[in-house]
Amino acid sequence: MQNAAWLPVAFEIVLIVGALTVLMVAVVMDRNRKVWGPVAGFTFLLAGAVGVLQWMDVADGGGGMFFSAPGLEITKSPMVVMDGYSAFAAIVLGLVGFTGFLGSWDLVTKIGKRSAEFVTLSLLAFAGLHMMVASPNLLVIFVGLETASISFYILAGFVRDDINAEESSLKYFMLGSLASALFLYGVALTFGATGSLTIYGANSIRYFFSLNLITEPGILLVGMALMLIGLFFKISAAPFHQWAPDVYQGAPSGAVGLMAAGVKVAGFAAFGRIFIGGLLSQIDAWGPIVAVIAAVSMVIGTTMALVQTDMRRLLAYSGVAQAGYLLTALLAGADAIPGMWFYVSTYAFMIVGTFAIVSAVSGPGSTSAPMSDYKGLVRRSPELGWLLAILMFGMSGMPFFAGFVGKVLAFIAAGSVGYIWLVILGTLTTVIGLAFYLKVVATVFASDGDAGEVLEPSLSTRFAVVISATITVVFGIVPWILIDVVRDALPF
Amino acid sequence: MTEYLWLLVALPLLGAALNLFFGKKIGEPLSGWIAFALVGIGWGVAVMPTLAFITGTASPETIYLFSWIPIVGADIAILWDPLSALLTMIVTGVGALIHLYSIGYMHGDERYPRFFAYLNLFIASMMILVLASNYAVMFIGWELVGLSSYLLISFWFTKPTAAAAGKKAFIVNRIGDWGFLVALMMIFAAFGTFDFGVIFSSAPAVLTTAAATAITLLLFLGATGKSAQIPLYIWLPDAMEGPTPVSALIHAATMVTAGVFMMSRSAVLFELAPISGGVVATVGAATALLAAVIAVTQMDIKKVLAYSTISQLGYMVLAVGAGAYTAGVFHLTTHAFFKALLFLGAGSVIHAMANEQDMRKMGGLRKVMPITFITMTVAWLAIAGIFPFSGFWSKDEVLAAVFEKGGPWMILWIVGVLAALLTAFYMTRLYVMTFLGKPRWAEDTHPHESPLTMGIPLMVLAVFATVAGLFNTPARLTFEHFLEPSFALLEHAEPVELGLLIALATFTVAVAIAGIVWAWLRYRGEELPVEEGGFWKAGLNAFGVDDFYGKVVVAPGKKISEWFSDTVDPKGIDGVTHGLANGVRSSGEGMRQLQSGQVRSYAGGIAVAGVLLIVALVAFGGGF
Repeated sequence: MQNAAWLPVAFEIVLIVGALTVLMVAVVMDRNRKVWGPVAGFTFLLAGAVGVLQWMDVADGGGGMFFSAPGLEITKSPMVVMDGYSAFAAIVLGLVGFTGFLGSWDLVTKIGKRSAEFVTLSLLAFAGLHMMVASPNLLVIFVGLETASISFYILAGFVRDDINAEESSLKYFMLGSLASALFLYGVALTFGATGSLTIYGANSIRYFFSLNLITEPGILLVGMALMLIGLFFKISAAPFHQWAPDVYQGAPSGAVGLMAAGVKVAGFAAFGRIFIGGLLSQIDAWGPIVAVIAAVSMVIGTTMALVQTDMRRLLAYSGVAQAGYLLTALLAGADAIPGMWFYVSTYAFMIVGTFAIVSAVSGPGSTSAPMSDYKGLVRRSPELGWLLAILMFGMSGMPFFAGFVGKVLAFIAAGSVGYIWLVILGTLTTVIGLAFYLKVVATVFASDGDAGEVLEPSLSTRFAVVISATITVVFGIVPWILIDVVRDALPF
Repeated sequence: MTEYLWLLVALPLLGAALNLFFGKKIGEPLSGWIAFALVGIGWGVAVMPTLAFITGTASPETIYLFSWIPIVGADIAILWDPLSALLTMIVTGVGALIHLYSIGYMHGDERYPRFFAYLNLFIASMMILVLASNYAVMFIGWELVGLSSYLLISFWFTKPTAAAAGKKAFIVNRIGDWGFLVALMMIFAAFGTFDFGVIFSSAPAVLTTAAATAITLLLFLGATGKSAQIPLYIWLPDAMEGPTPVSALIHAATMVTAGVFMMSRSAVLFELAPISGGVVATVGAATALLAAVIAVTQMDIKKVLAYSTISQLGYMVLAVGAGAYTAGVFHLTTHAFFKALLFLGAGSVIHAMANEQDMRKMGGLRKVMPITFITMTVAWLAIAGIFPFSGFWSKDEVLAAVFEKGGPWMILWIVGVLAALLTAFYMTRLYVMTFLGKPRWAEDTHPHESPLTMGIPLMVLAVFATVAGLFNTPARLTFEHFLEPSFALLEHAEPVELGLLIALATFTVAVAIAGIVWAWLRYRGEELPVEEGGFWKAGLNAFGVDDFYGKVVVAPGKKISEWFSDTVDPKGIDGVTHGLANGVRSSGEGMRQLQSGQVRSYAGGIAVAGVLLIVALVAFGGGF
């Protein structure tokens, strides 16, 4: 089965080859954006297509675990798995990457000479993100996490001449390193407690728990807590969210959508892989903590979003609240995965689409997006105005938009395992949250005052936004299409 | 015939889209006629299937349209039974008349097509709510109704009071919506589906009394928002800032009945929770009385009608609480006719008086506005409960049902009778001050009768306000039989004995006549009685409930905010809406202080939160 052994890592290979191609084209062909732009876009699409191939292979009974050193019993732990879970992640990451890349194209054309590096880093970051999902080995997950994070630290500060971008990049880097370190320490302690770094296979964490009853779980608990902190940071769950508003605001608009969406997808997927795939037997210990963090995120995200006057900070806090809803979904253990996938995959497109609009309205390299920019947007560009309204409806959880179905699935999952208080709180913050999403819509449709000049978005921006809005609407009206798919997107 | 019922939702939606996108090109008055025609066609589509229920040739059915979220039992389907048929007839029928009326009333408005787009959107939302076959879709209709109501109340948004009223209605309704939403979650947790059919047939087996009580009380909280009951009624009087046809359509005939409809739909659940029934009935009776008292003191003609609506809704809620769903829905039906008529009549008066709403500056209008005068006379007698007008039959049935239950319910019956007395009093007060006596107009007003597009709806409604009650006289229980299939899962109460019924009816009519005579004696004179004492002042201010909410709801919120930070907006308290918003906002502002932007403090935050998390996890997980 030599061929099959390539398929599980084909996603990463495609992206890395694509990244190298872009670099080489940029060197050889005098940094001709017209050539490597399509190369990068094609690479993302090809990666998504690889995801589809993986999906079909898994459906045909393929897939499985792949080992680093066949024959060596002592290290017989898989480094890569190919299951419905990683295949679905590949499809989503490929398409989100493609859409996000379209949305960031305005920025790419603006930064001129250094733009090849920007594209290369985006491609590499997504390779890292998928590695977080496709590996059952905690250390490889960490490597994927760092590959993605370091790329994003640089992307956040890419507009070097802007002091805000510089600051946000540095802040993101320092706090992100702290979180990574904590995560790594958590991995170490978990290894100490279970004697394993891997989730599946012989000598795995799961195998360990199936044999042993831990009577003194202290080391394990601290290990889990530290891994949780690292992941909470990445998905910007409160109170580990404080970097998010500054980075969302400080980084160039064109880059934020790509970063935010990618990290959310991979962060939650990794969370599901580690804590539901590997540590499900310990859910009585980590479940209540996750519930509390979910509650805190929903409350802090919603209340803080209410008082924001900058579009991007508002979106950052909205992201904190959304992280809370997503964590709510994960409380149901193994049954939670389909709901989590539905929510995070549709939400990722909403982020990408919204930031494509922010980039078009406030300028791709801008580091702030005051609400006043959006006043009367529908008169400047009816297209963007309406699409932004659709995306806001989607995020707020209006019925017949994808966000609603995601929330319903999340609350049902949490309710089914008895977290009724969390569901009640979640509905309450959803209701309050409507206020700030509708405030954006009202601002967009405001008919008083001077609208300003007509805004003609670029073709790539249009594509990105239309794709996201279409997904938001289609999966809001006929969600069962996606629900039927994610039902099979399960980890081993 | 029923296969075309989806048009009931699709047609108004189409009209809304047409007027929203091409309104400027269609122009006035064509956009109004299009909107009217689409609602009218909807009514036409529903007539035959409704008649089939009356003749007994049809049985309830679910018309499946398409699949939405099947795993939670939320599919797009129409539940077509007598209850939804009745509401459909009211919404499209009264709705069409009000569209017709608005064609004249909104003449010359800058955003004329937009108004009809919103009206059509409202009708579509209401149809989604009424025709839903599961709670999820019903909730969507419920929310859309709230949204379109908000758009219509604040239609004249350049007027600050209108914008504020819209906001208030929206926020107060959200409190109720939250209750509804939580109830839905609990229903789902218990049944694993939102589908009405499954829920109602398995409810007695699945729900404990405690669960049923919790669910129904939360549903009732939702109903108090939409149907303007204590404690959430405060938005309705302010909602009168919208154009008068809106007040008639939404805040009298249709939207406010959504809560009563929803509770009737959930009758099976309420049957399982006797405590909830008591709470619902008590709140209904208390609302009926309180709103009637306030109505007595109001000077603004529309405010009187607004409080009167709240009071009448109280009767419906009282009926539902007493388990007399048919009586509640019956009163809903007759009320839709006479209250729409009252509002349109008042609108006609306001139109004629050049936007004067103060009744002290009216009087003697009977001569200049004959059509309005005659139709308003009918409405006045109907709401006062005089035989044989429609209000008599339905109000009487509600009170009889409460009387029949005996025991502590007698107190509620007395409250209901008192409210009936006051109803007759304040309606006569309105009638006399507006139409009878000598003119008290300002010098430069020249009242005139309204155009025919406004006159015809008045006449049609007057006919219905007269005869609608005859559908369900004790001698001929058409209505009761008609609705039977909708409440098939309930145990049927014995009909009240005819002799007792006549005795009760005679008594309530006597009470109503007493109220009329009392008011007539008081207001017939040349000079209006001076109404400035403590009671009148307090009543005019609605007994300060709004200020009370401002203090009780807002003040604690402010305390919390201050705990977060010293920089609280000192102008926080002005009314419950502002207060609520500011309360949340200020706590947010407080937290913003923590967001200093310094890496050190962020890292410190992560450290503190991290340590707490570790400690908590270790504590939960069983320690070292």
